[in-house]
Amino acid sequence: MSGPLDDATWHRLDRRMLVVQPVQELRRFLPLLVGAFVAGGTARGGGLGWELGAVAVPVLLGVARYLTTRYRIHDGRVELRRGLLQRTLRTAQLDRVRTVDLTSGPVHRILGLSTVRIGTGAGADQDLDLDSLGRDEAQRLRVALLDHAVAEGAPLAAGGTEPGTAADAPAPEPDRVVLRLDPSWARYAPLTSAGVLAAAALLGVATQVAPDSAWRVDRLPDLTPEGWGWLVLLGVGLVAAALASAVLAVAGYLVTHWDLTLTRTPRQWRLVRGLLTTRETSVEDARLAGVVVREPLGLRLAGAAELGAVVTGLGGEQKGTLTLVPPAPLATVAGVAAEVIGARSPAYAPLRGHGPVATRRRWLRALAPVLVLLVVATAAVLLADVPAPVLVPIALLLLPAAALARDRSRSLGHALVEGHVVARSGSLVRRREVLGVGHVIGWTVRDTWFQRRQGLVTLDATTAGGRQRVTVLDVPEGAGMDLAAGSTPELLAAFVLDGR
Amino acid sequence: MTTLRRPAHRVDPRARLMWQLGAATEVVGLATALVVTSLVLDLYDLRWWMPALLATYAVGRVGLVPVWRYRVHRWEVTEHAAYTQTGWWARERRLAPISRIQTVDWDQGPLERLLGLANVTITTASAAGAIAIAGLDQATAESLVAELTVRADAAPGDAT
Repeated sequence: MSGPLDDATWHRLDRRMLVVQPVQELRRFLPLLVGAFVAGGTARGGGLGWELGAVAVPVLLGVARYLTTRYRIHDGRVELRRGLLQRTLRTAQLDRVRTVDLTSGPVHRILGLSTVRIGTGAGADQDLDLDSLGRDEAQRLRVALLDHAVAEGAPLAAGGTEPGTAADAPAPEPDRVVLRLDPSWARYAPLTSAGVLAAAALLGVATQVAPDSAWRVDRLPDLTPEGWGWLVLLGVGLVAAALASAVLAVAGYLVTHWDLTLTRTPRQWRLVRGLLTTRETSVEDARLAGVVVREPLGLRLAGAAELGAVVTGLGGEQKGTLTLVPPAPLATVAGVAAEVIGARSPAYAPLRGHGPVATRRRWLRALAPVLVLLVVATAAVLLADVPAPVLVPIALLLLPAAALARDRSRSLGHALVEGHVVARSGSLVRRREVLGVGHVIGWTVRDTWFQRRQGLVTLDATTAGGRQRVTVLDVPEGAGMDLAAGSTPELLAAFVLDGR
Repeated sequence: MTTLRRPAHRVDPRARLMWQLGAATEVVGLATALVVTSLVLDLYDLRWWMPALLATYAVGRVGLVPVWRYRVHRWEVTEHAAYTQTGWWARERRLAPISRIQTVDWDQGPLERLLGLANVTITTASAAGAIAIAGLDQATAESLVAELTVRADAAPGDAT
């Protein structure tokens, strides 16, 4: 069988990539060119030489890149050869390929091209980049890279595998769409931590630009018409800014996640999304270590959440976590989570709380700073010449602190269900983390002197994906060790004492 | 109640001396800075509480913490797992299976070389999971590295 990926043949990038480079360079140099025409025209006329050079050089580099870049799949490896003066040959074992990313910017899309990034888990600088291939060829390459085991014996796969295995293999299930984005979910976008942060920043700016007189409530009756004008202006400005940031958040959500589709293929999860730039990420089953349900406070109050996948060996800007579901209703998120990890209880089951001692610790940690501040301020009022009303706002801080302590202690919980470690904590950003026990590499048990006295430990299950660890905060030592011993019995067997 | 027992071996007793020497160097540096800024450069007046504060810090840093640290630091390597306990105020116990070891490092700073000690660091595929044993006897550290390297090689898979 023939095809563009036959053994031992070196393939070039798509010829159309030659057009991408000049278009992108032109776009970058457009302001400069306009400036050069205007300035050059009025000043001396001409003098465009070096600007043209600035455009020509990248174009020539693009041609050089096209002429010198070759790739092939051969003998169980993918090989990438490039470079004019300094020549490099990069190879990666097919079974070490963890992710294949297809990205198409607007220019790429018009030309029918895709950039292929092959992740091997050795860090972003070790990724194999192909900029660009034709869209169909990119898809074929993705299939060849990720289906190497399924396709064993088929002509696409490399190396001399014995024929017949392909015939014995069961027919693969057809691809199944698990989730398609509902554009109305964009309403949650302003409620994410990023949206709330933007609103807080706006408020901060507002307090800085307003004249001091605007903040003296006791002097409100004395305000001049000019002062009232300032206040009204400030109010209108704040509302307008809040609206603008909400609109921006919604627009950003739609541009990034437009037409997001999560597809189950026989051995991978495939995620396609994007309005202008489309991105397609494929993750092999074995690389999917777990999921994280993130509930920033704003989303949680609106009954929404977002879902990330913990992927081992996912490098670069994604830092080991891939957003599977952007802010969406909690029921949808939990459903996708259950489907992705192939088990229902880790996403839904109630968690085991961490008990009264852990609760007391949350309260102490939330209230202590405010109480210390209150004591210091009281001393300042009594001993120094500080006006007493300063105590009021400090005392009022106790309310949010108490709310935080209550919520944080309620969030705490863990479980070991259907072969997954589950841990939940946090308030402003509550996270429910689910990690398959097979992806637990080791354990870290931390306790300070205070925690030892209270019989609590902070337990980390370390892993190769996501944040590199799943933390079970302030768990009673016995329960924590039961969780660890239940997850990886052979690892802990020699070290646990059963004191029952 | 299930609990973790502590690892079997203490680190070398000379580790205590090593931590004390390190802390003493730091305290001497601070004292020199105090004398130079107050008496030599005359930036501020030397008050009685400044050396007193420094002395208290020195007693804690040199006298107390290294002893405490030595009592906490322990390690054990079995056929299947590496297990350490480190820290003093905040204690940290780490467990990793031998089958998931990716690299085994051996290193020795100037103080360690002086005292005939060495450190062994075991890394896994998780950036959060490295296991470090500080203050081992040099010969013990060398044989431990050799042993771990052989065992890690024997384990199949790519350890992620």
